[in-house]
Amino acid sequence: MIQATGLVKYYRDGDREVRPLDGVDFRCERGEFVLILGRSGSGKTTLLNILGGLARPAQGSVRVDGKEILTLPDTECAALRSRTIGFVFQFPGLVSTLTAGENVVLPSDLVGAKSGEGDAARRAAQLLEVVGLAGKAGRFPSRLSDGELKRTAIARALMNRPAVILADEPTADLDAETERKIMELFSRINREGTTIVMVTHNTDLIPYASRVLCMENGKLSPA
Amino acid sequence: MSWFIVKSIIRRPARNGALMFAFAFIAASLFSGSYLLSGAGDSVQSGISRLGADLIVVPENSTAESEAVLLQGSPSTFFFDSGVVAGIENISGVAAVEPQLFIATLPATCCSMSIQLIAIDPARDFTITPWLADRQQQPLGKDEIIVGSSLPARTGTTLFFYGHPFVVAGKLDPTGTGLDMSVFIRTEDAYTMANESKETAVTPLQLPPDAVSAVLVKLDDPAETANISARIARDVPGTRVLSSSTLVSTVAGQLAGTTRLLSLAAAVATLVTLPLVALVSAMAVHERRREIGVLRALGATRVTVFRLVLGEFLLVAAAGAFLGILVSLGLLLLFGRALALALAVPLALPGLTSLLPAVGTAFGATVAVGGLAALFPAIQATRMEPYEAMRSGDI
Repeated sequence: MIQATGLVKYYRDGDREVRPLDGVDFRCERGEFVLILGRSGSGKTTLLNILGGLARPAQGSVRVDGKEILTLPDTECAALRSRTIGFVFQFPGLVSTLTAGENVVLPSDLVGAKSGEGDAARRAAQLLEVVGLAGKAGRFPSRLSDGELKRTAIARALMNRPAVILADEPTADLDAETERKIMELFSRINREGTTIVMVTHNTDLIPYASRVLCMENGKLSPA
Repeated sequence: MSWFIVKSIIRRPARNGALMFAFAFIAASLFSGSYLLSGAGDSVQSGISRLGADLIVVPENSTAESEAVLLQGSPSTFFFDSGVVAGIENISGVAAVEPQLFIATLPATCCSMSIQLIAIDPARDFTITPWLADRQQQPLGKDEIIVGSSLPARTGTTLFFYGHPFVVAGKLDPTGTGLDMSVFIRTEDAYTMANESKETAVTPLQLPPDAVSAVLVKLDDPAETANISARIARDVPGTRVLSSSTLVSTVAGQLAGTTRLLSLAAAVATLVTLPLVALVSAMAVHERRREIGVLRALGATRVTVFRLVLGEFLLVAAAGAFLGILVSLGLLLLFGRALALALAVPLALPGLTSLLPAVGTAFGATVAVGGLAALFPAIQATRMEPYEAMRSGDI
């Protein structure tokens, strides 16, 4: 499903060269729930963004479904992001001028989905129901709690039925109960066939994953 | 994605409202200038066409008064040697001539102010008589008058000029020129009125025999207007030839100050708005970096982001232009008459052929200013890498 080899990413911090990724190899098969553990600043977010085509490494290659994404033209890379990959960011990342429902519909509109507006709205309503936000489709992000924002972002990530979801600290800053609900939701999505790659510093999430990796000093290793 | 643009505009009302106001001001300034020029031009054409003449010959030393009578209806009495009529008639290419006599009245029963009487000879007239014929009306009878559209007199009512009673036989359609404030009478009745005025009026009217104030000229070929104007000016001394183009030039000259002011206002508004919109759009792109990053992560291409940013500002500019044109059109329709009086120019509602280019130019120029100002920030937005964009800014 996703195969990354020899990923190197570095930047300069004054005179010092920082290497968040220093020759990272990563492989993930369809249907897996991969948890990448690491401390803050260990490079796990950078890795996730490179796997999703949101950032470019200095060296290395990333293949999604056999297709090298680092050399793809902008339109094809955008199409891959919208149809194959769903993102859940550490911050909710909802558009403040759109309601929860409109935010969920957004990915479908960005790919110019052939289905009618009614179909997209119906699917958005179903997804909001799945994440436990039925009846809150008309609320703006400013009127939603942190947990509700995260769940709306998950619903949005599922809108275009992606093959893989890349989730960056989806339970950060949430209380234990909301964290449990969100992780159960991810488990359910995974059981229904969606591959999940999640990065976190929270070791409490290990039981939900099918495979756990550790990120340390720019290197990735099995836990 | 048009719904996304519309919602983004609607849900940021303060910023977009202020921008819309700036665009509305540019559009209103541009449109008002064009409207005034077109309205005045169309008004003159309509007035000349009502007179049915290709040329109007007036005394050389009364050119300003003649233009004031024709354009603004400012009452005036002046004459020139009636021998000019034969001189003009003899010029080849002249199909018909109609001498007219201009008389300023004393304040009449219809009006608190002095108005312009235009005396015509029904036997030679091609101004009023064909108009009456079109309406299946008899030629002007004894003591009958035709009044301009702006005079408050209905058909059948009696008006007194220099103490002489006249019956209103008809009312002309509006032209926006001085004709709207004028009254057409028969030359024969004008002399009767003048003779009686020694006894009936406070200030008697004195008319020399065979007096002529203006000669309306119809040509065999209207395309020869310039040539025949030059021939009349050369062969008939003491005359000045007015045509629709010279009158339009006069009006354009009278409007020059106002149109210059409006152009200056539009230029200043553009100069102020262009960097302002550029700054606001740059700020909007900056503060929405994370939103743009998220959109890219969700599958928006660089072109989509470009369209979203540019589209938003183009739509705000278009809405502002539409509002500006609509409001200025409303104000011009409401206060156009007062404005025309203040500027001493004729003004009619311009026809669609004049109005549409004015609307199109004002609208197009305003939207172009919006597009130009937002172009650079829109390009900048496409250059952001999604991850870098998301690392900063708020949503």
